[in-house]
Amino acid sequence: MTLTAMIRFEWAAARRGRVVLFFAAGFALASVGVALAGLAAGGVIAVQGFARTSVSLLQLVLWTVPLLALLLGAIHGAECYELEFLAALPMRRSDLIVSRWAAWSLALGMALVGGFGAAGMVIAIFAGAADALQYLALVGIALLLLSAGLAIGLWIGVAGRTRARSIGMAVVVWFVLAVGADLTAIVVLAVLPAGGATWNLAALLLANPVDSARALGLGVFSADVLAGPTGASLRHLLGGWGAIPLGVSLIAWTAGPLRMASKHLQSKDL
Amino acid sequence: MTHLPGIKLVGVGKTYGDHAALSSLDLTVARGEVVALVGPNGAGKSTTLRILAGAIQPTSGMAWIAGHDVLLEPLAAREHLGYLPQRLGVPLTTVVGDLAALLSRARGLPVDAGARALAEAHLGNRLGATLGEISGGQRQRVMLVLATLGAVEVLLLDEPGISLDTDGAEEVRDAIAAARFDGASVLFASHHLSDVARLADRIAVMVEGQIVACGSVEELARRAGVRWDERIAEPPVEQIYRILIQGGGRPVTAPIRLVSA
Repeated sequence: MTLTAMIRFEWAAARRGRVVLFFAAGFALASVGVALAGLAAGGVIAVQGFARTSVSLLQLVLWTVPLLALLLGAIHGAECYELEFLAALPMRRSDLIVSRWAAWSLALGMALVGGFGAAGMVIAIFAGAADALQYLALVGIALLLLSAGLAIGLWIGVAGRTRARSIGMAVVVWFVLAVGADLTAIVVLAVLPAGGATWNLAALLLANPVDSARALGLGVFSADVLAGPTGASLRHLLGGWGAIPLGVSLIAWTAGPLRMASKHLQSKDL
Repeated sequence: MTHLPGIKLVGVGKTYGDHAALSSLDLTVARGEVVALVGPNGAGKSTTLRILAGAIQPTSGMAWIAGHDVLLEPLAAREHLGYLPQRLGVPLTTVVGDLAALLSRARGLPVDAGARALAEAHLGNRLGATLGEISGGQRQRVMLVLATLGAVEVLLLDEPGISLDTDGAEEVRDAIAAARFDGASVLFASHHLSDVARLADRIAVMVEGQIVACGSVEELARRAGVRWDERIAEPPVEQIYRILIQGGGRPVTAPIRLVSA
């Protein structure tokens, strides 16, 4: 049996799920809301352009996309232990993992593109199409982060075995990636002598997909000075804002966890 | 099909911590043969089937499906395997039609083969429903039809008659008979001893992870020291089973029990 057949099966299940609709509607509303709210704070009722909206939306993407992806991945990873009928088909256990990741990446990716796309139309109509490429870059970063989050979530689910434990682990991992890594960076800065933490901080940035996405986004928006100490370290090391290592880091955070999840599931009883 | 037995287990054991779910199990099921696994709950029937299906790995010993080692050549072993687990084994949110299409593709059949097989079993109107939306009996029938789809050389059924009505139970019997007719090796676990006696060429009685007796009804009856008049009575399988279970499979020499006139 080909992996394609399994991906088709999982895709059919994923696209029927209500979560995809919620995801699309949520991002559409959030995007339009951010576009309106930016100027409303200044007493002006208008839609702000793509550049400002993209920067404002980045933080929302960095918090919500990994959380949703980790949770969904964890739930579907843990569910692999209940797929005894499917596992008896002529396919590898890794096909179970990869097909779930591919189907959900596709379904949620389409929801994300749909949600941001709908909001993008509103912005383009009311504020013009200037800096639309930045908005597209934001969508691309969100997709990379979604892919990495799902892969990590699947690994968590396979390691956690039960749905409840996996969800708990996913929330903890999300907290560590979204908040804990920043706190660690602050501690590293406080403990190590000035200039001595460059490598450590750069490594901390690349070792965290959420931080990598943040630095990548701020670099694309030419706001990399806001990337914080870890981003500054990477810039200091590379002489630029490091688009390639950051992009590679996000791709590695997809490939690595998928491989680990597959290996783990292969060695376990269902 | 080859001359190799459809199913072969040699010295297969499975332990969970200190508990031995299976101990050095040996069993061979020839092509076109039906073997039933019977025994009390926890005897190791499902564990045996799950090892063969690749759901769990044995702690010791080796197992082959159609001549392929289930650990070393898992894909080849499962190429022509039909398996109906005791648990559903797919999410309840799965749409019946999607599962039918997957099984068709997995067996190298036209994509609508599964749907047509379900229609022939009068389940064609459930293709758009999820497995959670249909009754337990219908669900079991859907899974049975899909497990036996295509050229299945080895059929493993774990409690196939569970939650089925009379017609459904008849479908299980038909499916097993059809698989045997097509030359498949069939291994099934069941608590329905009348079905077992009617369908199986041999019965393997399991107690605490071991096969304590294996043979035809007549052979088991001799071992249990039970006699009956074959012209006028059905074999007293319940009595044979209880004697073998209580005696741990040890041959009973005396007294001979006379059942029926």
